[in-house]
Amino acid sequence: MRTSTTPPVTRRAQARLGLALVVPLVLIIAVFFLFPLGNALYYSLLDYNGVNPTPPFVGLANYVELATDPALLPALANNILWIVVGTAAPMLIGFALALLMWRVRRGSTFYRIALFLPYILPTVAVGVVWGWIYDPIRGWLNAALRGIGLGGLATGWLGNPDTALYAVLATAVWTATGFVFVVLLSSLQNVDSELLDAARMDGANGAQRVWYVVLPQIMPVFLMILTLTLVGGFSVFDIIFVMTGGGPANATEVLGTYAYSSAFQLNRISYGTALALVISVLAIPFAVALNRLQRRLSLQGMGT
Amino acid sequence: MSRRSVLPAAAGIGLAALLMSGCTPATTSSSEQDGRLRYLIEEQEDPEFLSTIEAHIDDFEEENPGITVEVEAMPFDTMRTVLQTQLQAGDAPDVFNWGSGPSFAGALAEAGLLYDLTDAYEEYDWPIYEFAKERVTVDGKLIGIPGDLETIGIYYNKQIFEDLGIDEPQNLGDLEAAAATILEAGIIPFAVSDQEGWQAGHLLSMTLSSKVGSEGIAALVEGEESWTSPDVLESLSLWKEWQDAGYLPEFPTSISYDSGAALYYSGEAAMLPTGSWFIPEVAANTEFESGYIPFPSEDGRGIFTAGLGSGPLVAANTDNAEAALTFVDFMVSEEHGRWAIENLGTIPPYPVDTEGVEALPLLKQVIEDTATFASGDADLGTNIDVVASDAFNQAMYDGFQGIFTGQQTPEDVAAALEAAARS
Repeated sequence: MRTSTTPPVTRRAQARLGLALVVPLVLIIAVFFLFPLGNALYYSLLDYNGVNPTPPFVGLANYVELATDPALLPALANNILWIVVGTAAPMLIGFALALLMWRVRRGSTFYRIALFLPYILPTVAVGVVWGWIYDPIRGWLNAALRGIGLGGLATGWLGNPDTALYAVLATAVWTATGFVFVVLLSSLQNVDSELLDAARMDGANGAQRVWYVVLPQIMPVFLMILTLTLVGGFSVFDIIFVMTGGGPANATEVLGTYAYSSAFQLNRISYGTALALVISVLAIPFAVALNRLQRRLSLQGMGT
Repeated sequence: MSRRSVLPAAAGIGLAALLMSGCTPATTSSSEQDGRLRYLIEEQEDPEFLSTIEAHIDDFEEENPGITVEVEAMPFDTMRTVLQTQLQAGDAPDVFNWGSGPSFAGALAEAGLLYDLTDAYEEYDWPIYEFAKERVTVDGKLIGIPGDLETIGIYYNKQIFEDLGIDEPQNLGDLEAAAATILEAGIIPFAVSDQEGWQAGHLLSMTLSSKVGSEGIAALVEGEESWTSPDVLESLSLWKEWQDAGYLPEFPTSISYDSGAALYYSGEAAMLPTGSWFIPEVAANTEFESGYIPFPSEDGRGIFTAGLGSGPLVAANTDNAEAALTFVDFMVSEEHGRWAIENLGTIPPYPVDTEGVEALPLLKQVIEDTATFASGDADLGTNIDVVASDAFNQAMYDGFQGIFTGQQTPEDVAAALEAAARS
């Protein structure tokens, strides 16, 4: 047995080293994750308004209220729509663009920068500028629609409850696509071209080559991006907050903006905290499931 | 953007914070009895504001040898916390400008932190308007000087009115007839914006004030009257009817406060419902002359909805009470009033003769109108969002957006307002 042959001195030294290596991480996790989490859990059991130094303990009352809150389901429905469309659209568009750009040499830097740029722009700036584009009177979207004879489609994009969420979503997709595109494009460089040639000789058409040859090889990267975009969909806040503030009349309210307005506009910090915890809990299973899937695929030898 | 959007939310937090701080009034003040005063004010966007006010205070010091005033300025949000800690630590400024509403000065007074100015009002005979005085009266004591007056009304483009042969509306019927004529001429009658949501507070305050007066609104806010009453319903429905009639821009909820103002500036809209704080902007951005009228009632000109800004308060534990009162007396003087109109473009809460004052004609007119309203028997309406709770304001903001987008009926909104007022 190996342990019996190791001298006790070495074992103690190894244990000390191990401890020394682990402690910083444990501390970081404790300070920046466990403590805030515990704190949030604690505050969600109080009725804290942000200033009262001795907020009353209310137990699970905030969670009970959450369960019966009529504003919660519409917000959750908006979140789900956001997650589905906000994940699928940038993945599809980004992947399609990456495939188009795969073999392009001339001007590829330009395209990459142009498509990636929206992703690195500050969300607030993006929101404000797209707000101008959507402006019903001065915005160029309505102007363009009228210009091509589709004036009937012109509307108050961000102020119309039927279009507001989609208008914001379109902006979000515009910013997220660049990220998907750049990451997938770089992973495409690792796709084995011999396999592709072989598939072509076997008579596989374009769609079949993408589905059976390209996609499996980039699957881990694909899943990683999918996880990031998907989980981001649960916590979406900034772009909606900037563009509509959850309005008009809550038409674009998602859990994130609802938690914010509860906590900071109505001064119900505890209720907002409970909401935020629920959002986290909702996102965890998806993150874990996708992570598992990704690991299993890697173990099966798919991808690079 | 108007700072009005910040005020209601800030008021809630401020109230609670100040109530807490009020538990332990300190016994000493920072400066000893030597005629040195500390005066804390809110920082303004205009970078020249501080030097302007310092120069003004130099005049005061010259007139009152032996008193020196040290001005401190800080942003509104910081001021809230700093005042709180300084009052707790007994290191508060002798005089400070703070909101005169119940959630600001009222909270401080209840905590015993404000110098009772009742006797001083009598001694100095300060000519503050009665309605404004009422708003700084707590338990029968006068606890401060009301801040500048801000009214809410309707700006109208005099050029368009003249071209279309419309006279200044004298009642609600006139206003609606004017709107119809304007619409026929291909111009948007009212540049109503509601993207931010807080504009709802002003729209409802205007229509409701002219309908039920300040006492009627007080009855609603205090719960004596229901928000589902016919008066409230009619006030809500009016905006819906006007939208259906095409009197408002097509998508009010897509139009920001600035975009709404731009519609008025460019002449695409003939009227702009907003407040007197906007006079300098309107004057700076328009070539035409503007009129400014209260929202009319069914049988008359209606009343202006009025709010008060931050005014000087004296700390209860000041060591320089005499100097502080002399300084406050200066802040209520004709001289100060004329200076404020000229330099800050604000409306003092007491009558000021504007003869010879260099100010925008519209501002002068509004000051004179306000004086007529405020000093006579006429009433001034109440800006609901500064006296209501955060939850109520949220229901009001959401409600108007709901009405404008067809998601809610006026009845739904009235019920939601009533529920929020009771919660």
